[in-house]
Amino acid sequence: MKLKEIKGKELAEIESILRKEFGIEKLPEYRLYLWGEDRIIAFTGDLSERDIWNISTIASIESLGVYIGKKDMNGIRLSIEGTHLLQSQINKNVFEITDEKMLEEWMSGADLQIATGKKGFLVMKHNEDFLGCGKASESKISNFIPKERRLKVSEK
Amino acid sequence: MPKIRRSSELQPKPLFLERMKTLLENEEDFESYMQILQVNPLVSIRCNTLKISPEKLKTRLKNKGWKLTQPFKNFPEIMIVEGKISKNNSDNPANQNNDNLYNKYNENATDTIKIKRGDITKSQNVIPLSPGELGRSLEHLLGYYYTQEIASMLPVLILNPEENELVLDLAAAPGSKTTQISGMMNNKGTVIANEMQLGRLKVLKTNLERCGTANVIITKREGSALCEKLNKAGFSFKRILIDAPCSGEGTLRSTPRGFLMWNINNIKQFSNIQKKLIESALKILNRGGTLIYSTCTHAPEENEEVMDDVLAKFKDIKIEKINLPKELKIRPGITKWNDKSYSEQVKHACRIYPQDNNTEGFFIAKLVKK
Repeated sequence: MKLKEIKGKELAEIESILRKEFGIEKLPEYRLYLWGEDRIIAFTGDLSERDIWNISTIASIESLGVYIGKKDMNGIRLSIEGTHLLQSQINKNVFEITDEKMLEEWMSGADLQIATGKKGFLVMKHNEDFLGCGKASESKISNFIPKERRLKVSEK
Repeated sequence: MPKIRRSSELQPKPLFLERMKTLLENEEDFESYMQILQVNPLVSIRCNTLKISPEKLKTRLKNKGWKLTQPFKNFPEIMIVEGKISKNNSDNPANQNNDNLYNKYNENATDTIKIKRGDITKSQNVIPLSPGELGRSLEHLLGYYYTQEIASMLPVLILNPEENELVLDLAAAPGSKTTQISGMMNNKGTVIANEMQLGRLKVLKTNLERCGTANVIITKREGSALCEKLNKAGFSFKRILIDAPCSGEGTLRSTPRGFLMWNINNIKQFSNIQKKLIESALKILNRGGTLIYSTCTHAPEENEEVMDDVLAKFKDIKIEKINLPKELKIRPGITKWNDKSYSEQVKHACRIYPQDNNTEGFFIAKLVKK
């Protein structure tokens, strides 16, 4: 099992990054895991560590909880679900998509050719909808919407 | 709105027809069944309450011009998407061709159309969603709803999982019922969702991710072997769902290719797999716990016969009566099939035929350990 619970110093480090990046003051009381090297998973289940380990000896654990973000040398890139779970606390580095055309572009997986004056991860938002993170550089916001979640505009 | 299937190339096999005639009440019932098989199923969605309330979702989708109905008073999360409101009445195929089966099936059409006994109304200024539209709306991509056939939502309503419980979903892919369970538990407690087929696991993972189910552990193992191992390791469950792999006779409306695949030998093979699966699962069901067994097939060998087998082997198991939304017509399990007789208890199980509620066909039984 490539799964490791994030505790102690590691957890504090993640909390600190999320506070700095997006203003998230306190993570909800989920258990966080590292899946592989860099994928952060939130698990709200109440099985003990020992029970989870026991299950892993019985069957292959293919996934646990929900993927909320990825650790990266630049910080933490929240997934769509990560922004959904933490939306009530996100108050920093938010990019508001204001028009429908831009929303369609973003949801279809395209980078937005726009200078935000910021560098690093931004939470993308349209009205009440949180859409995961983009990465701002000088002249664009790079898109990370996974293929299976993209709007297939050509089919319209 | 339901479309009429244009191709009649996919014809049911004679043995299938003979069996359905025996199962159904009379010639009229059989005719209704055969007619509804020619009509595409309704489009239904289930609001993912982990992310949005039914009211909010309804408002959003209505603002897109979708026409929705909520057929069950007590389950507002269940919605039928009738189509899109059209400003032009001639857009509606039902209005263009008065001689199609849809209209034959709805002879008394006025402003709203009722399909037989079903509760589904069809407004005449509604046109169908374009192909794939349901799956590419922003609301779908963000996991605000799950496209799910109404009959397939019923097993979890009967399972009735609660927060902080440990629930086993033994044959979980593609994840419609797992996400429904997780939603009813508000992401609290734990769901073990098992699937043994690699290809189906990928779909399961994607759907769970999209719906934000954070209390689920996905495992990969053959179902009965998993139960045996869980038993040895001391795990037991208050609620178990077995939406068993089956011959799929109930899904012929949405997958008419099933007519070609239908084979009596498959039914016998599935029956054996199902008996093994439920037998091992009952060993890890808590005393007082509930196991829901469901299939999307009408074949008694995969339904009542499996129940009868279980009742003979487990003296501490009883089949309880099922409470479903009162708007639905359900029929009891049968106690005789060909030369076999089944326990009277199987009458407590329910059969759902497509012609009764304009859904797919299903079989559901609620087993409780005394």
